[in-house]
Amino acid sequence: MILEVLSIGLLVSACLALYLDEVIYSVAALSGTFLFTALLYAVNGAVYAAIFQFAVGVGTLAILFLSGEMLSNKSLKKTSPQKTLALIGVGVVLALPAIFLSVSGSTGTYSDASFGDALWNYNGIDVVLQALVILTVALGIAIVLYERRNGGK
Amino acid sequence: MDFVILSIAMLAIGIYGLLTNRQLLKVFISIELIATAATLNFVMFASSTGQGLGQALLILAFSTDTAVSAVILALLVIVTKKYGTSNINEILKMQEKGESEAEA
Repeated sequence: MILEVLSIGLLVSACLALYLDEVIYSVAALSGTFLFTALLYAVNGAVYAAIFQFAVGVGTLAILFLSGEMLSNKSLKKTSPQKTLALIGVGVVLALPAIFLSVSGSTGTYSDASFGDALWNYNGIDVVLQALVILTVALGIAIVLYERRNGGK
Repeated sequence: MDFVILSIAMLAIGIYGLLTNRQLLKVFISIELIATAATLNFVMFASSTGQGLGQALLILAFSTDTAVSAVILALLVIVTKKYGTSNINEILKMQEKGESEAEA
């Protein structure tokens, strides 16, 4: 029962995040999406994933609140309650297939790695990809500085 | 309860938002929803098979997602400061206007 409620909440908050006009309300709805996702992870036994989702979600939301407040043009356009209720209904309807349908697939061969083993063994991939991200950022900064220097001449 | 369908529904909502919204911040929120749909699959497959590998790879996905978010937000702030609006249509109109003025 709790999984169904969390699934419906996840989809409804995702719909609201896209539908609401005011940016701050959208970000608030997105915080609901992150919260429901973290709770889904925790209920399914993926506690580490829930903690990481929560931490990343809080950081993203803080930045989004700041940028949303800074960049939005304070429009006073109101969303009608009927439309909001209709959207919540759409979210619930969208969640119904996830509750009642199921996809069955063949189970493959899985490794026996625990969370700690997997994190340690696959650390090499993590480091390489982090290096790739840092290299991309460094290239971007170099290009921006080069363009700025040429533009100044 | 099948999380693949839940993930597909999330993905559909994200793509719909990406295609219909003209505000840059809403586009960013749509991208976040798509990323959440992808990570949902990671965790649910991992927890359904009882392995820790999915959770470990999820951290990798989170780090990539965070880097992507930082770059998108930086671009969003730059574009909004430059053009004074976060509406994609208005930005495109301003760009076209600037190009036509430069040609003339």
